[in-house]
Amino acid sequence: MSRLIGYWGRLCALFIIGIMLTLIGFILFKGLPTLELSLFFGDTAPLAAMMGLQPVWEGIWPACVGTLTVVLCSVSLASVPGVASGIWLASAPDKPAQKVFGLAVDILAGIPSILMGLFGFSLILLLRGSFFPQANASLLLASFCLALLILPYIACATQNALSSLPKQLSVTGAALGMTQWQVTYRLLLPQASSGIMSGLMLAIGRAAEDTAVIMLTGAVANAGLPGGLLQRFEALPFTIFYYSAQYQSQQELNMAFGAALVLLTVTSIIFTLLAAVSRRRNRNIFGSANSRKRNIYVR
Amino acid sequence: MMFKTCSVRLMTIVTLLISSPLIADELSPFDEMSGQLNIAGGTAHIPVMKRAARQIMGHNPDIRITIAGGGSGVGVQQVAKGLVDIGNTGRALKNKEMNLGLNSFAFAIDGVAVIIHPDNPVNDLSQQQIIEIYQGQITNWRELGGQDRQIHLFSRDEASGTRSVFSKKLLKGAQLAANANIVPSNGAMKTAVSQDSGAIGYSSVGYIDEMVKAPTYNHIMPTQEACASGEYPVVRRLYMNTKGAPEELTQAFIDYIYSKQGAKHIQASGYIALDAKP
Amino acid sequence: MTLVVTSGLLLFALFCFLIWFSLPVFFTETTSVFSLKWQPEQGHFGILAMVFGTLLLAFISTSVAFIIAMGLNSFCLLSRRRWLVTLLRTLLRFMAAIPTVVYGLAALFLLLPLLRNGLQLGSGYSLFAAVCMLILLILPVICVMLDNITAPLWQQYALGAQALGFSPEQIYMQVILPHCRVNIGGAVLLGFNRAIGDTMLPLMLAGNATQLPSGVFDAIRSLTAHIALVIATDQGSEAYNSLFAAGMLLLMCSACICLLSRYLMGLQRLGQPE
Repeated sequence: MSRLIGYWGRLCALFIIGIMLTLIGFILFKGLPTLELSLFFGDTAPLAAMMGLQPVWEGIWPACVGTLTVVLCSVSLASVPGVASGIWLASAPDKPAQKVFGLAVDILAGIPSILMGLFGFSLILLLRGSFFPQANASLLLASFCLALLILPYIACATQNALSSLPKQLSVTGAALGMTQWQVTYRLLLPQASSGIMSGLMLAIGRAAEDTAVIMLTGAVANAGLPGGLLQRFEALPFTIFYYSAQYQSQQELNMAFGAALVLLTVTSIIFTLLAAVSRRRNRNIFGSANSRKRNIYVR
Repeated sequence: MMFKTCSVRLMTIVTLLISSPLIADELSPFDEMSGQLNIAGGTAHIPVMKRAARQIMGHNPDIRITIAGGGSGVGVQQVAKGLVDIGNTGRALKNKEMNLGLNSFAFAIDGVAVIIHPDNPVNDLSQQQIIEIYQGQITNWRELGGQDRQIHLFSRDEASGTRSVFSKKLLKGAQLAANANIVPSNGAMKTAVSQDSGAIGYSSVGYIDEMVKAPTYNHIMPTQEACASGEYPVVRRLYMNTKGAPEELTQAFIDYIYSKQGAKHIQASGYIALDAKP
Repeated sequence: MTLVVTSGLLLFALFCFLIWFSLPVFFTETTSVFSLKWQPEQGHFGILAMVFGTLLLAFISTSVAFIIAMGLNSFCLLSRRRWLVTLLRTLLRFMAAIPTVVYGLAALFLLLPLLRNGLQLGSGYSLFAAVCMLILLILPVICVMLDNITAPLWQQYALGAQALGFSPEQIYMQVILPHCRVNIGGAVLLGFNRAIGDTMLPLMLAGNATQLPSGVFDAIRSLTAHIALVIATDQGSEAYNSLFAAGMLLLMCSACICLLSRYLMGLQRLGQPE
């Protein structure tokens, strides 16, 4: 019985490595040949398209810019409250208020993304019905809902990074006459910065890939470059979803695969950065003081 | 300022010289406009809307036209809520929806036809056969003179105008089998059916090309001509809906769809153009 | 400090808002939502078939993913080819970074044609296809958690157990696993939560038919896909209301699982000797 687990382990390892190589190989095989200027810009002149002088049809450039914008917006919306609540959680993890709040963050982290979309959709209907009749499904709404989705990641990462610092650090700071504010901003945050950075990057990756939220809150199939915060936009994951289900020509299918390859490349880059940051983090002077922190790679 | 106006004029003249005068004439109302026009709803309309948007945005980049699908239900819901400027439906508005203050503009005639994989040898399906297939009573193509292959049912989502027309006019309200796969748009229907040699689905006639095959229905070929003449009975109109009277840009867009150029787009998308309501 | 507290409270308020939003729908709901029949043309708006579909999907994929994760976990601890283990650990973390739609796209053009034409198993859009890809999606979640739990235990006990004459496989099965049974339960629950909440894979691959499946090759519709499909219908109709019932069910389900798994994972700290 016990011996079987050894064989089973080997089998699973080979199986997973094989499957993932097949999948990634398939995307590369289908996606690489489509990587041309025309994939991004269609038949519009690239320079004019980039400047936004001419609308792009049959190209994924607007979707790339749309994804970039929505990710930037949501991360900038979520980072400050996320880091702040992380600090608050780490400052006194055993007080009842923090405990309840920590629980809320946990639950928020587990909520299916489509519910965030549903929430955003009903929010906009509510706003229109009450005191803000111009409200519409838009880039801003999508960023807001995405921010809600990624906020717990940032909060958790900050909390973990702070609470893994040795206790002496803040005690010494206090003994030197620093206020709590100074201890936090001059001492703890710089030490925890790489941990917070990896949380942010994780959040970026999550915001870039999520489809269910933006599908209900403002992503459309054709919009051109994002024109403003209150306008609808195109996004890469939605483009992939849209064209993979309803391509009308080989060219549209190629766009789906091209977009998938681009998105995969983006997330791989984020992943590599994340790995580099956490490797550096393990080498810092305090080492990884606690090994039993919550894992932030997978949520 | 003067210079800029001049150069715009110059550009217009150049455009006039290059393109045929007809195009420029019909696009000229958009010259001085800018802003955003949101369109959502019926997926049968998307090819027409895309062609028109392409011309208009190419003519004047200050205008942004966004096009989303979703189905007729989305069209009505979003235009009634004011979330979009034009909500497309592939069916006439229900009485309840008329009361929301919507204006309807029918611009094309379209049929809804059954589609199957091009390799499928079945060439004719009667109404009774289609009803039995969609009720789940006929489950194998052999029973219809085809190969020994299971029938894979494909249907549309609840918001679809195509589904409601199909259900009302072809199935006569018969109950749909629960094991039908649901796809969210006409395009997705065509893609799904074209990949599966045992599939049967239904879509707007405008979407039928060499990727899928439309069997004759009671021995009538569902072509656009047959739809227009009334020979093929499962037809509907395609509507654009606005809330109240359309605004300037919206009105210009609607006028453009009704223009000769617009009729060309409608024809190129596989539909029969209708004239504007007097 | 005020900034910190304010933003904390803001988040808390948002959270309450989220719950409050779906509550009234749940209370005013007629019983019609809790039936098996979904036939909008005939006026039946039951979502139980979707609930069943979601649960089935999540249960199958979590249990299979768990069995595979155990294998991978044992491999990471036992194998002597350390480079292979490093590769596997990196791959697993990388899998967590792959966008869901990319999985969906690959399955749509790789797995479905195989099921449909190669094996002649219906239209390909099926519970099976969605389960396959969901396993890949939640495998890294469970695996990395397991790894975090078992790796320190291994370092702690391996040498002593070996001295007592255990083989490495025996150490894993009879020392390590019994020690962290509860925490493993927590990791699996987190995976389960992820499986319930995913939208894109069921929407793209499961066929969205509103039936009770009679086998794994039948099409199903999950609650998440139901929300994505039905949000298109006219507001105020019963179909639209079913949306919020579905949303509330999902929310409660995920909140309960979250709490439970946090509780189980938390037991680890108590149950472990320093």
